Amino acid sequence: MTRYGMVLDLNMCIGCNACTIACKAEHASPSGVFFAKVLEKEVGKFPAARRVFLPVLCNHCEQPACKEVCPTGATSKREDGVVVIDYDLCIGCRSCIEACPYGSRTFYDGNGAYYPGYTTLFETAKQNIPEGVVMKCNFCVGRVDQGLDPACVQTCPTECRVFGDLDDPQSEVSQLVAAKKARPLLPEKGLNPSVFYIGG
Amino acid sequence: MASPREDTWVHSVCDMCFAACGILAHRVDGVLVKIEGDPNCPASGGHLCAKGQAGLIGQYDPSRVTRPLRRANPRKGIGVDPKWEEISWETALYILTDKLTKVREKDPRGLVISSFDQIALSYFIRPVWAVAYGTPNADWVGYYCGNYLHASMYLTNGSFHSDFDLDYCNYAILLGNQQGFMAGLNATVMARKMADARRRGMRVVAVDPVGTNAAAKADEWVPIRPGTDGAFILSIIHVLLNELGCYDRDFLSCRTNGSYLVKEDGSYLKEGRDGKPLAWDQKSGMAVPFDENGISPALEGWFTAGGERCQPAFQALKEHVKAYTPEKAAPITTVSAATIRRIAKEFGEAARIGSTIVIDGKVLPYRPVAVNIYRGAGAHKHGTHTALAVQILNMIVGAYYVPGGHRGPNLVGPAGRWGPGVTAEGMITPPSAIGHGAKYYDFEEREPDDLGLHQLFPITTNRSPMYQLNLQDPSLFKLPYTPEMLIVCRRNLMMNNVNPELVAESLRKFPFIVSFSTHLDEVAEFADLVLPEQYYLERFDLFPNRPSHTMSPATGQFYWGLRQPVVETQGEARRWIDVLYEVAGRMGFLNDIYKLLNVSMGLKEPYKLDPEKRYSMDEIYDRWTKSLFGPERGIEWFKQNGYHKVPRAVEEKYPGPFIKPRFPVYFENMLRAKQSVKSVAARMGHDWDTSDYQPVPDWKPCPAYEDGKGAYDLYVVNFKIPFHSLSITTQNPWLNDLAEHNPYAYKILINADTAKGKGINDGEEIWVESEAGKVKGEAKLTECIHPQVVGIAGVFGSWAKGKPVAKGKGVHFNSLLPMSLERIDPVSTGVDSCIRVKVSRAA
Repeated sequence: MTRYGMVLDLNMCIGCNACTIACKAEHASPSGVFFAKVLEKEVGKFPAARRVFLPVLCNHCEQPACKEVCPTGATSKREDGVVVIDYDLCIGCRSCIEACPYGSRTFYDGNGAYYPGYTTLFETAKQNIPEGVVMKCNFCVGRVDQGLDPACVQTCPTECRVFGDLDDPQSEVSQLVAAKKARPLLPEKGLNPSVFYIGG
Repeated sequence: MASPREDTWVHSVCDMCFAACGILAHRVDGVLVKIEGDPNCPASGGHLCAKGQAGLIGQYDPSRVTRPLRRANPRKGIGVDPKWEEISWETALYILTDKLTKVREKDPRGLVISSFDQIALSYFIRPVWAVAYGTPNADWVGYYCGNYLHASMYLTNGSFHSDFDLDYCNYAILLGNQQGFMAGLNATVMARKMADARRRGMRVVAVDPVGTNAAAKADEWVPIRPGTDGAFILSIIHVLLNELGCYDRDFLSCRTNGSYLVKEDGSYLKEGRDGKPLAWDQKSGMAVPFDENGISPALEGWFTAGGERCQPAFQALKEHVKAYTPEKAAPITTVSAATIRRIAKEFGEAARIGSTIVIDGKVLPYRPVAVNIYRGAGAHKHGTHTALAVQILNMIVGAYYVPGGHRGPNLVGPAGRWGPGVTAEGMITPPSAIGHGAKYYDFEEREPDDLGLHQLFPITTNRSPMYQLNLQDPSLFKLPYTPEMLIVCRRNLMMNNVNPELVAESLRKFPFIVSFSTHLDEVAEFADLVLPEQYYLERFDLFPNRPSHTMSPATGQFYWGLRQPVVETQGEARRWIDVLYEVAGRMGFLNDIYKLLNVSMGLKEPYKLDPEKRYSMDEIYDRWTKSLFGPERGIEWFKQNGYHKVPRAVEEKYPGPFIKPRFPVYFENMLRAKQSVKSVAARMGHDWDTSDYQPVPDWKPCPAYEDGKGAYDLYVVNFKIPFHSLSITTQNPWLNDLAEHNPYAYKILINADTAKGKGINDGEEIWVESEAGKVKGEAKLTECIHPQVVGIAGVFGSWAKGKPVAKGKGVHFNSLLPMSLERIDPVSTGVDSCIRVKVSRAA
């Protein structure tokens, strides 16, 4: 079996947000919505203070809480572990937004154009998210199915993201998880995320 | 869904900052759907930053200017509607030709050109178009340019920039810059290389008043008081030289002028009046020419030769820095003496003086340390001194053009295509490919007639702030003509200079202003004619990867690429160079331009331009590429293939041990520059302060250091964030979205304790007021800033209606900057960018 996952090296994330915009360009995500983003906070008191960066995306959990609560089957998990949303089935009830402990999902209210009152040729060509559905990161399945890395991985200038098959012990992601004390976010929720963090 | 008729990826080069990363643009049925880093480009290596990817959405900005516009309202002012009326290109060209002809007839020097479009400036405007037209005033570039820095680099590393070798460096001090953290030159490749270096354990020390992205990832953040970096560096030099005795004697003796004997007046002891400088040979006990074979030059001691008491230049430096003990530097910098000593020791030990490394079969000195400077540490009065001190620190440990150390980009070209020059005194000068205009050893003593006053500021690369001062107050230097016309090409003079009211005053002096712009920006409010400029995704530009600026040595390659249109041009936009060349044709000086282009581009037969013929820019590019790389490398090849690449040999990666010229640790030429400047100033009727022309650098307080009177108790500084560049990107809605969601980008950073002392809470509106202006914004209380400092990021705070995304977003730092001779670096003319402010609640 294949279980796609990602390992992010927090030591190497410099908070440049190349991933955030790669994701936006790849998915034409609406204004104000980020499927991938970099959270920031400060730790310590001056002068022993510093900013820390936490790049986040959908965790593609092995036991996705979002899927559990979805009444229509719009959210499903592919055989390769990627959690996806079928916009045709989504009724916008937003139960999944409540259920996801990671805040990975956003309801689309239809106000997504980047230039107010104007839809660009790019948005016309690429934005396929209908009003009234819930949206999120899909590990760039369109790219992954072609053998490419997700857009955020492809663009990362410090190469702090690695994508691959967690079920293959020889894959780089598996090796990193095994060797580097990789941990997911909120493991206590018991959802078994496929996104792991090292360093930091 | 129907399958697309067209689905293609096009090679081009990004222009969202100056790094010029190779991109692949994905176009489907004529619509741009994605931009990615071009894996074939050595700089991007397939990666691309947020700005580069966001360039896509800017292509479709409905606020673009798409037709030529003429002002109907004669009143010009900030926020005043020019009442634009659309005109045809033919009308616009007629007006442009008519105005340019009249100005040229009166006095061609009355034409001023302002641009920061490096590709066009360096090849098509400054060396040829402006020269053929007859104006020396084609160099009004940005005040964000590191002009204090470039001259210091020309003088020391013979190159235009500061860089260091992340392949081998083990210890890097980033002094007020974020090299490797998606800022500055070659940002993408440096971010990749920095990450690799940190993975293998390189230590990074970020010295900065602001806890930047670089400071966030550094092993150590050293918050320093703004404008005191020079004291910090000179103190480290003192500790290494005088406390630890840690310096590279071989490098200083043989590769620098450290062994040159200097007399008590500071000048070289020479063999005869114009002979070679002399060094003291310890074997023979005599003063001999510095480059005589087999000598053992002294670095220390006092000697008598030719009846003169003299000492090696190195000793003069070593004695000079004794004034900078850590105990003296600590209260200046707010960095403790113990920290300065520890960093000096760590730096000295990490330099591994005496060690060697074998690379590609060549035994090379191995000095894996570097201190790197860019704008932050030097954008102060006396910034030249700071930049030179930084270079001395790199040199005293021998970390200069060797594995792990400091380097300038591309001092030598592939297979000897270019290389450094050497003065009669054995000192390095820039290769003509990089700095043909840098004449820092022989000075021209005449009254300057350009707005930049070149002869009054001989150790400079550009003198843009003097344009501003000469316009602001024409009585100051009394040039023999009046500026009549300004052409602005892709540059926002209002946003990226000093206080906009001061700039507005200068712009009002021009009877006629033409602005080539993608938007009705802040400059348009003062323009008479606005001409629609092509967006970079619509443009041709050959070789944006320039050896001087953006051809990163970190890639291990030399590389040349092509920016080409990836989508159709919006409306009637054109490229400004093409328009000016068309006007030159109408005015009848295109043949002069062609003659000059043959020289400036170094065109060889059979590719030389025939002055009697007419060529499209494509044809000129085609001749240029074939002349450089052979008949099979025409413009079509570049369109299809993107990059012409040449791997760097070890001698081209680490030229230090393979070249002859020496690097200066002692700037004897400054004494001659001083005399020249004095003489030029006297001719101009000025009693001029030349005290900054010194052979060894000092730290001197910039005005802000001593201005902290009364309520003006804080400094304000500007810093970079990784997803915006200057005002260029502010109208981009994706990057605006990022900035709106970022905790710092649009805010005013103030230390949490400092804020509490002033009763300011997080998120409150505050005023920041300097002697020059005031700005309002939201306070961001943070632990990541020096307690005496207020931080404002980027160049935000646009007000032009024609930039609706950028309008009203963030805070305009430059509004706080005054402009006077007191507030520039007297050597480089760099604008002093730190100033005292008072901060108060706006409510």
